[in-house]
Amino acid sequence: MPIRTLLPLVMLLAAAGAIFAIVRTGQLPPADFVFNNESDIKSIDPAVVTGQPEGRIVDSLYEGLVRMDPKERRPMPGVAKSWDISPDGKTYTFHLRDDARWSNGRPVVADDFVYSMQRFLSPQTASQYAYQGWYMVGARKYSRGAAGLKVGDAVEVELFTRPAKARPLARGELLTGKLTAIEVDDVPEEVANNAEEYTQHRTFVVEIAGESRRFRIGADVPADSKAEPCKALLFDFREVGMKAVDDHTIETVLENPTPFWPELLGFYPLMPVCRECVESHADWTLPEHIVGNGPYALEFWRRRDRIRLRKNPHYWDRENVALEVIDALAVESIFTAFNLYETHQCDWTTKVPPTVTRELLKADPPRTDLNPASQFGTYYYLVNTTRKPLSDVRVRRALALALNRAEVIAAACAGESASRSLVPKGLANYDPPECVDTDAAAAAKLLAEAGYPSGEGFPKLEILYNSEAGHQLIAEIIRKQWERALGINVSTRNEEWASCLNSQQNLDYDVSRKSWIGDYLDPNTFLDMFVTGGTNNNTGWSNAEYDKLIEDAKVEVDKEKRLVMLHRAEEIIMAELPIIPIYTYVSRNIVRPHVRGFYNNLRDEHPLWALSIER
Amino acid sequence: MLNFILRRLLWMVLTLWVVFTATFFLVRVVPGGPYTAERKMEPEIEAAFKAKYRLDLPVWQQYGLQLRDTVRGDLGRSMKIDTSVNRIVRDGLPVSAALGSLALGLAFVLGITAGIISAVRRGSFADVALMSLATIGITLPSFVVAGICILVFVFWLPILPAGGWGSFQQLILPACCLGAPYAADIARITRTGLLDVLGQDHIRTARAKGLAPATVILKHAMPTALLPVVSFLGPAVAGILTGSPVIEQVFAIPGLGWHFVQSALTKDYTMSMGLVLMYTALLYTMNLLVDLSYSVLDPRVEWN
Repeated sequence: MPIRTLLPLVMLLAAAGAIFAIVRTGQLPPADFVFNNESDIKSIDPAVVTGQPEGRIVDSLYEGLVRMDPKERRPMPGVAKSWDISPDGKTYTFHLRDDARWSNGRPVVADDFVYSMQRFLSPQTASQYAYQGWYMVGARKYSRGAAGLKVGDAVEVELFTRPAKARPLARGELLTGKLTAIEVDDVPEEVANNAEEYTQHRTFVVEIAGESRRFRIGADVPADSKAEPCKALLFDFREVGMKAVDDHTIETVLENPTPFWPELLGFYPLMPVCRECVESHADWTLPEHIVGNGPYALEFWRRRDRIRLRKNPHYWDRENVALEVIDALAVESIFTAFNLYETHQCDWTTKVPPTVTRELLKADPPRTDLNPASQFGTYYYLVNTTRKPLSDVRVRRALALALNRAEVIAAACAGESASRSLVPKGLANYDPPECVDTDAAAAAKLLAEAGYPSGEGFPKLEILYNSEAGHQLIAEIIRKQWERALGINVSTRNEEWASCLNSQQNLDYDVSRKSWIGDYLDPNTFLDMFVTGGTNNNTGWSNAEYDKLIEDAKVEVDKEKRLVMLHRAEEIIMAELPIIPIYTYVSRNIVRPHVRGFYNNLRDEHPLWALSIER
Repeated sequence: MLNFILRRLLWMVLTLWVVFTATFFLVRVVPGGPYTAERKMEPEIEAAFKAKYRLDLPVWQQYGLQLRDTVRGDLGRSMKIDTSVNRIVRDGLPVSAALGSLALGLAFVLGITAGIISAVRRGSFADVALMSLATIGITLPSFVVAGICILVFVFWLPILPAGGWGSFQQLILPACCLGAPYAADIARITRTGLLDVLGQDHIRTARAKGLAPATVILKHAMPTALLPVVSFLGPAVAGILTGSPVIEQVFAIPGLGWHFVQSALTKDYTMSMGLVLMYTALLYTMNLLVDLSYSVLDPRVEWN
């Protein structure tokens, strides 16, 4: 056969073979419950994940000291069967149950939590959520590594050598002692103080068992420093506020009374990991290695397709876990996800597109499977208070008065509710104070008082938003509202997401879109952002009374008084308006009616272990 | 011929190095970084994150270390996904390639057939209809074609699944949508090429000898007429095998395409570089194969 005919033939055969191979490996037995998890998750290591899709899987594979109840999101017993709080609200003692097991059969003990916390806080893990653990005494210092140490601190030195029987990925040999001196190399001061090279120019002198030893961090030690190399030099973890009192008792000591501490312990980054598993395999999160203690175990993970979970036979509360096999799809397009739901390929999809929602809400007969519900998140505009004339509170208030939320929501939203407060409504014991409502006449009057009658002499105002159709529509509507009511000249500008964040952080904008979803169900998660110089303040706004209230609330033992302080703080920010709230986010889950145990809540969290199917 | 291949491979290495260098600096010029987040990282955590991915080192040192790893075949660890880029490619490429092969096969068969019919029946109704269809196929963006296909074959006539991966039925719609524009391109190129060849002397000779029309076209005209199609196929194959972000997104296909977009958007330095390098290598290889296949199709081509 001539090569001319052979070549295409071979190619065709190869293609057919490849397709056959794929089809053969693709077939799967069906799962009991399929839901769309929005995207392929980045990891299943609790310490490094940050997103909600990751949280859903981590929450099923592991269990923390507490679990969150599916309805109200209140802490309920998890691995800890109960806990006591000291009168000053700073010491929590957790009593662990005896029957909690890892999926390899080993009992879950207090040391597992201490190890996991050390790993979570360690700078070597680079956990983005590490700050959630910083409420504990010494935790922040531990996370800062050598850069946070002061002479006199108790320290732990991790050597490159490993104890004889250690597992392949265990930490190196640990020495503990007292830091007695930090010697700075003979380099110019600005080099020595450069935060990113801090440890490169320093020798740490540590007194260990009565002997003074010199250490440099990193394998390369300059000959003239007469120091030993070490892998890491950290604050002594034994000084951090988490201790295993015995195998079944854990004590955490906090800097301040933190009423939401148990809730944080039920948050997925603080879940425990199995030490022998993490220390034995570099890729310990692979299905063949992973060991968890949660209601489900990882059966397989087909990247960008699905994760299959199977009920964990070692889980202590297995009798109350109804679904045997669950598939978490990784469909990124919310439209495709909806198509899959409509064609019965999945039972729950988390985010119905706004356009589709609007259609479905009008459907006749009414759909029972879609119920948008308020979430603990706010969509708002930042105002750059360092720029004139926005530095004038009357101008900011005029902008807020001229903003018509009802119009924005009617045109650009689907189920969202207008918000005139920073903290979303819905907390049981906190009713947020609101900012001024829409009043175009009052707005114009106030602007005139500020020196710009009918907008005369008002410099051009620019609304910055990150490129996305929804934000654009809202920005355009608000632009028109401001132009109409105030007679000022407004323009809009969009930037790609990362650039937009950059501009916000550098205060390189007039007014800019921002949103925030609370980390825990407490006003503090919104309010402590806006203290002077806060990392997420981004408005240049500063108010001494506000700062003091937030600071005092942190140490206040009385829960009622604390909430009064936070309420007062929010009154200040809603009067000063460095931010203008626009709407409260809603969740838009669509779930088959025969699914039980699914409850809408402020956190939009729906643990898989609570779900069941009733046909 | 060996000499030719070696020379081309040398060029490939050089090109890869240039691409590596350019991408390395380009991704770093873009505002923001992999540690940019709506919730700004605490300074301590950002420092630890940078140290983990060597971003705290001077740029030239980062460059050297990454080049060393790449030469060893290690594309590094993704800065956003907790796994190695090699693994992501290993998982995603076969899926994209399988779908791509099917789409390409489809495009090839449909395109060539339509091209031959159009060229042979030049000016007829069939020619006009096919070429109009081809023009539409080229101009319509794939998400429109995909949207229409889903509406028709998933919702109106519920015969095909809406998306996903794992069965042959799930492959049909994405393969058709992915292959359609390529089929259209191939049809047009085939038609032009064939019309060119049909006017030449050796075809007239073949006809004069009384050969059957089918033999004349398939055996004497097609090999030469296919040359432009083959040139088109080189880059097309590289593009189609690495996946289409749009089609993969719409049909929930776990391929590689979406990673190209996502890694650029999230400033995942290692991932975008790894993917770009892989694409460059694939493109270069495909072009080399195209050049090699010229000699098979056209004996006049010499190795130079």
